[in-house]
Parts: sequence; structure tokens; C-alpha cells
Amino acid sequence: MIEVQNVTKYYGNFRALDNISFSVAKGEVLGLLGPNGAGKTTAMRILTCFLPATSGTATVAGYDVFEDSLEVRRRLGYLPETPPLYPEMTVKSYLRFIADIREVPAKLQRERIDKVVVRTGLGDHLDRVIGTLSKGFRQRVGLAQALLHDPEVLILDEPTVGLDPNQIIEIRGLIQDLAADHTVILSTHILPEVSMTCKRVVIINEGRIVAVDTVENLEGKSGQASRYKICLKPVGLDWKSTIESVPGARVEHERVDGELVRFDLALPPEGGYEAVFKAVVAKGHVFTEITPARASLEEVFLRLTRTEEGAAGAERKVAA
Amino acid sequence: MKILAILRKELQTYFYSPAAYIVFASFLLVVGYLFWVVLIASKVANLEPLLYNAAFILLLASPVLTMRLISEERRTNTIELLLTSPISPVEIVIGKFLACFLLYLILIVLTFQYPAILHTYAQNLDWGPIISGYIGLILLGAAYIAFGLFASSVTENQVISAMLTFGGLLLFWIVGWTKNVLDNVYGDALSRLSLLERYSEFLKGMVDSGNVVFFLIFTITWLFVATRVLESDRWR
Repeated sequence: MIEVQNVTKYYGNFRALDNISFSVAKGEVLGLLGPNGAGKTTAMRILTCFLPATSGTATVAGYDVFEDSLEVRRRLGYLPETPPLYPEMTVKSYLRFIADIREVPAKLQRERIDKVVVRTGLGDHLDRVIGTLSKGFRQRVGLAQALLHDPEVLILDEPTVGLDPNQIIEIRGLIQDLAADHTVILSTHILPEVSMTCKRVVIINEGRIVAVDTVENLEGKSGQASRYKICLKPVGLDWKSTIESVPGARVEHERVDGELVRFDLALPPEGGYEAVFKAVVAKGHVFTEITPARASLEEVFLRLTRTEEGAAGAERKVAA
Repeated sequence: MKILAILRKELQTYFYSPAAYIVFASFLLVVGYLFWVVLIASKVANLEPLLYNAAFILLLASPVLTMRLISEERRTNTIELLLTSPISPVEIVIGKFLACFLLYLILIVLTFQYPAILHTYAQNLDWGPIISGYIGLILLGAAYIAFGLFASSVTENQVISAMLTFGGLLLFWIVGWTKNVLDNVYGDALSRLSLLERYSEFLKGMVDSGNVVFFLIFTITWLFVATRVLESDRWR
């Protein structure tokens, strides 16, 4: 549905995007993740035909964003970082204006407006002047605007920014709803949001893609020693030496809890949990709890964006 | 359809804010005052001084009407909405132009009371120069608004947009004075660009096709440039 190939974008001498490529399948929800200033908005603006790429190509639904911009724009719903609202208009007149410029046929306009109003929970606010709405409601109007013409592709730039926790949950639910029949790209720097709404994630840092993967894989693929939280009922005192006899295995943070011991088992990247568990059981110790502690997305994110920092930063200054 | 949507939205915006009402009120107040003063002083049923003054007052007023048309879209980033919608810069520019021009026409129609008053009290009122003067005033308005729309497209600051319009229009207004200073082909060429020179001929009762075409070309040129400025966002 969306193909981005070797896209580079310069603002003057500043390289905002450096040769990024990714694709989004029909019906997929892709998260664009990265710290502020990483290039998320620039990437979205290129996809929505608002900015041209310096080099590289991008297509949406088979249409090139530069050559066939009109066809692309017909198929897009876009919520920019700040919702593009006219503060002096009422919600109703605003949505009617959007329906007109987004080519919703006159006959269908009322029905479409009713539908998005229900979906975004704006029912009681139709006659309010947009300038008097709270931030959360403005965000909803912005979202309603993006959904109005029932586009195939939705591009949402930080859709939950500035909302309170209840609203965030509502908007996330809405996005999950939309995922059923839309292709969605959403950007965020809030990590839990990604694991809740997206199947796949593109992590961008300083204009480069540092990882493209499913949320599950990223969480599993911490690269650090895999860890287990363990609770053991030992039969003797040799449990610790039994575990540490396996090469690379270490016991950390151990504490005694009645007749049980709780500790973290740290294993080398190549694994080795089988050898450890077999050795422990062979000695007659009893496991009461084994919890694999996967790296959180936060840790993956920090590691990926930090290791890149030094090298990429130095190179970017040289680029002209 | 999409042009109509833009037109309707712009008209709504004019009347939601006090700007349009204030422009209307101050224009009518000043024009009414001038009508009275000139009529009492000269005791001649002649609308030419009024139409001449109205054109200059509109030169001052039109930047206020045009300054926000595109600048405000840039400042509030709603330009991102327009440019990512399936609507072309040409449609945006024409829709906005028509909205402002319609407002201008309403303003002009409101001054019809003055020839009506003259008609009531004067015998043998010469309608020719009045009608040609109004044709000139309408064409002049299109030129003002097209230039203002261009000025509004290049900046996100309404004040800069208004000053640019005011300065540019004033220059086009008085550029004909060169003909008194430069007694050569340049002086002549510059005076042909003058809005004042062209408009004066309408006031004398002449609807010269050359002058009509000049105003139309002037209008279309600036609308075209405004369109290109908007489009350039997409390939810059």
C-alpha cells in the first residue's frame, strides 16, 4: 500500500532524512517511532505530498507522491501534528468544508459527517465554535477531518499528544478500530502506544532507520543476556553453584523469602537456559516460578537510538 | 465545487470576525462625509470627485481585506490541510479571490446611494461617466485584490502582507508621475502601468478596451503568481 524507497530529504544543508526505505502492507498499522526531531514529521509530510523528497521515491496505493500527487491526496487522511483547524468556524461548518474539499459527494456528506461524529464522540459539540473547544476535542475534530472521506490510508502525526489519559485510551481504541479497514501510519514518541496499537514499528533516529520489526521481535531482541525472574525452593545450599557451573549463567539480586529464594537469572546472548534448568532439577531443587523478563520497548529504543548517536551525528555534519 | 467551498469558507470567516464590518463602516463613513463636503462646496451634481476618492480609500482598505487570506493559513498550518487535500492551488487562489471580490462588490453597491441621491435632486444627471466610473472602480478592485492575494501568499505575517500590498499598490498608483519627470520612452512606459492613469480615463467617461484589458491582465498575472507561490511549496 505504501512504499518508501531510498528517500532523502535536505533542508538546506541539514539532512532530515537519510536514505530511508520501508513499506506498509494493506490493512497494517505501522508505528513511526523516534525522539523529537528524528524526521518522523518530515517522512509523513513527504508521504502526504506536502513536501518533496530531495531524492528517492514514495508511492501510496501505487501512485507516486510527486508525479500523481492528486491521486495520492484523494486516498489519504492526514492528521498533522497540530490539528489544522479554523478557530472561528463551528465544528459542523468545518466538517462540511472538509467534505467539500475532500470530494465527498454532496449526497453522502450528511451521512459521512454523522458517521465520523459518532466515531470521534463529537455529537454534543457540533455547533460549538472550534476556538472554544478544549485540546482533546480539537484533536478529535482533527481526527474527524482525517476520517471524513473514508480514506484508504491514514497518516496520523502524534495523534495522542496533549490529551489526558482517558482521551488517550479512547483515541487508541479508535485507532485500533480503524485498523480493521484502513492502512495506518502513526508517529509517536510514546512507546506504550506503539505496543498497543501497532503491529510493526519503524524506529528512526537522526533521519535514519535504525530498526524495522514487529513489536514482539523488538521486545525479544534486546541483545542483552536474556533474563528470567526465578523463585526456587532449594533442597540444599549448592543451588547457586549448580547454576553458575553453566558457562555464562549468573545469579543476581538474590534474596531469601522464607524457605524460598528469589533471584534473577542472567544468561549469555546465545542462551543456555536448558542446561541451567536441567542441572537445577537434577539436584532435586524445585522451581516455583519462572518468569522470562523480556526487554521492554523502552530499553530497545534507548539502546538503538543511543548507539547510533555518536557515529551518525558526526557524519551528518560533514554531509553537504 | 471545491472553489465554492473555499469561497463559502472565506466569506464565513470575514463575517465571523469584526474586520469586514469595520472596513465597511469606516469606508462608508469617509465616503459619505466626502460626498457631503464636495457637494456642498461645489454645488455641482458630479460624482467624479467621489469616485476618485473612493478608489484611493479602497486602496487603503483592500490590504485589510486581503492580508489574512493566505498568510493566516500559513501561520496556523491549515495550509497543510489544503495542500494535502485533493484541491489545486488554482482552486484555492480563485476561491479566495472570488470571496474577497464579492465583499468588495457589496461595498461598491452600498455606494450606489450617492448617484441615487444626485438623481433625485439634480436635473439632467450625466449617467455616462458614472457608469464608466463604476466599471473602472470594479476592475480596479479586482486588481487590488489580486495583488493583495499575492502579497498574502508570500508571508505568514499579516502585517507584512498588508504593508506589501499597500506599498505595492501605492507605487502602481503613482508610477504615472514619471511622465512629468522622464520625458522619454521609459517615462511613457511606466505611466502605462499606472493604475491611476488608467482609472482616470474611466472617470472621464471612457471605457477604453485597452484599459479594461490592462486591469484584467494585471489581475490574472498576480493571481497566477500567487498560484505559483503556493505550488512552489510542493517542489521546493
